[in-house]
Amino acid sequence: MELEPMDEFEQELRQAFERWPAPPGLKRKLMERRHKPTQRSWFAWPGFAASLVSVSLCVAAVLTFYGSHERQQEKERREGEDARQQVLTALRITSHALDHMNQQLAAHNRANHESSQE
Amino acid sequence: MKKRIIALVFCSTSLAVLGLAQTAELPASAPVEKELAAHASNVDEVTLGKNMLGLASAFMKGKDKDDAETRKMIEGLDGIYVRDYEFAKQGEFSAEQVEQLRKYYETTEWSPIVRDHDSKTGESADIMIKMVNGKSDGLFILDVEPKEISIVLILGPVNMEQLGQLKNLALLGALNGAKAAPSGNGKH
Repeated sequence: MELEPMDEFEQELRQAFERWPAPPGLKRKLMERRHKPTQRSWFAWPGFAASLVSVSLCVAAVLTFYGSHERQQEKERREGEDARQQVLTALRITSHALDHMNQQLAAHNRANHESSQE
Repeated sequence: MKKRIIALVFCSTSLAVLGLAQTAELPASAPVEKELAAHASNVDEVTLGKNMLGLASAFMKGKDKDDAETRKMIEGLDGIYVRDYEFAKQGEFSAEQVEQLRKYYETTEWSPIVRDHDSKTGESADIMIKMVNGKSDGLFILDVEPKEISIVLILGPVNMEQLGQLKNLALLGALNGAKAAPSGNGKH
């Protein structure tokens, strides 16, 4: 028997409204999906921009720190080398003064010795 | 707040006093030294406090033998004050100026151990030591040549044996060779 178009529509409607049991494990899957952190695109504009700024700031801070650290080290090295040179200059003058004093004393001793022999 | 300000003032005053105490050891230049420097053709000036000596010592920690010897010599010293005035010709300084220098540095805490004056040439050599508890705690040398005056003041425990070995340091020999070249401290 051929169904009337209206009957056919009713039939489809009835089937559509018919309650079907949920497939096994659906509830578990739904719960799992609910607790799973949502995977967002790594290129989410505000977050990405913030990260980019933070990274740039960190890099700039690190570079500035190393730059000033190196400058400080270079300054200390120059000061140390300068101090070393000054010590050597002082010792050179001291050595010269002691040397001259020795010569002077030796000359006097010689003169005294010669005069005592005469 | 008031306590913090007082603490801050106290700390800064203490630091200033400590700083002064450290530099107070080294003498100020004698007034006559300005006149000598004005007439000298070359002036070498070295003033090193304990901190600077420590810094220099830290830069002598290589394997170099001379550096090691020099480091040993300066370790424990409180200060070095050295002036060397070289003159182009004789007669650019007077015996009175030398006497003024001697009097300026000759204080009661220094005992003369060598005093040699040659009235013919005008050359003289003075060595004084500072004794603290029976140990030498400073050395002063005033060496006057016809065209040169050297003042050496070393504060702290001075090892005379090590000083006597100064000429053996090759580094100083190299410096003597390079003496004609302009140096940072010299006036040319």
